[in-house]
Amino acid sequence: MSDVTNEPMAEPMGGGPAESIGAGTASYVYLAARDIPDDAVAGITGLESQPVRLVRNAGLTAVVSTVDLAEFGEDGLRRNLEDLAWLEHVARSHNGVVHHFGRQTAVAPWRLATIMLDDERVAGLLADWEHQLKASLDRVAGCSEWSVKMITELSADQRTETDQPTSGTAYLQRRRAEYSRQNSAQEQAAAAADRVHATLSGLTAASRRLPPQDRRLTGHRGEMMLNGAYLVPDDRSEEFSALVGELGADLPESRLELGGPWPPYSFATLETGA
Amino acid sequence: MSITAIDRTGQPVATDHFDNRAMPDRSDSPAGRRQVALVDLLDRLLGAGVVLSGDITISIAGVDLVEVRLRALITSVRAEMRATDPGADRPLAGGARR
Repeated sequence: MSDVTNEPMAEPMGGGPAESIGAGTASYVYLAARDIPDDAVAGITGLESQPVRLVRNAGLTAVVSTVDLAEFGEDGLRRNLEDLAWLEHVARSHNGVVHHFGRQTAVAPWRLATIMLDDERVAGLLADWEHQLKASLDRVAGCSEWSVKMITELSADQRTETDQPTSGTAYLQRRRAEYSRQNSAQEQAAAAADRVHATLSGLTAASRRLPPQDRRLTGHRGEMMLNGAYLVPDDRSEEFSALVGELGADLPESRLELGGPWPPYSFATLETGA
Repeated sequence: MSITAIDRTGQPVATDHFDNRAMPDRSDSPAGRRQVALVDLLDRLLGAGVVLSGDITISIAGVDLVEVRLRALITSVRAEMRATDPGADRPLAGGARR
């Protein structure tokens, strides 16, 4: 039933199936698509410069490559996910493969570090999830993901050097005024972010708000009021970026940042538990 | 994959691949942009995508991904702060000072 191409599982476990998942090799899954021709993987490498290969079943194709379970097994992952250099390397390799095939056909990217014990299991999963995967691929076909962030400077503190409080009461009054100014600035910024998101969503096939990013991670100044992901039909991408520019021009206190196009990472998620 | 500050005409800088080109954002250093792009990527690669569940896979589904991601990144930012000259005006250090 499963039509597995190229079975290169190099080193079978000593004399039996992998009882332990800490040794041997496994299949790392990058993405699923409807069809990818055999010759499209020629010369394409993934993690650890291993060649990628195709696993076909149920009218679907997965792109996989071989990884070492010492690194990608349960224990290895738990350890390595704490290592930013490792995480970055894997993320960029994963993204490279997804991006490459995403330029050729509709793809459903898989979450980082999805490992199956072998290609047979990948094939089995394609069959199990045939309907959800196909629905997901239909949803993202002809679209790319774009990111729009809104970052607002909530600088309520605009006093000058000469504006020092002369008494405790004056100080408290000033603090209270600052606090309420800040609150209302925050509310206005939140409302503006809602409007930006609603307006952009009107032009897109789908949209999601991701949690705002921590400035300790990004180093951005100000408050991230919106971290939006938008699934934009490719023939509307210019219209979309123009709209982002217009919206940004109307928001003097805020900065809109456009990123993309990305493969449809935020929109290929399957219904869980199905 | 890249992060683009919108220019005056509302056009993003043309994007190419996933190598996080430097973008014309005056307020960020290349290191800062690179970090931002990585956070964007991890937002998506860890927080979305086709997600497995159940016992068929040894995915990292059992781990709190967001927590792991933040812990790893914050650790790295702190390490970078320590490695940075305190006087240097670096976005990573500036962001982390708060």
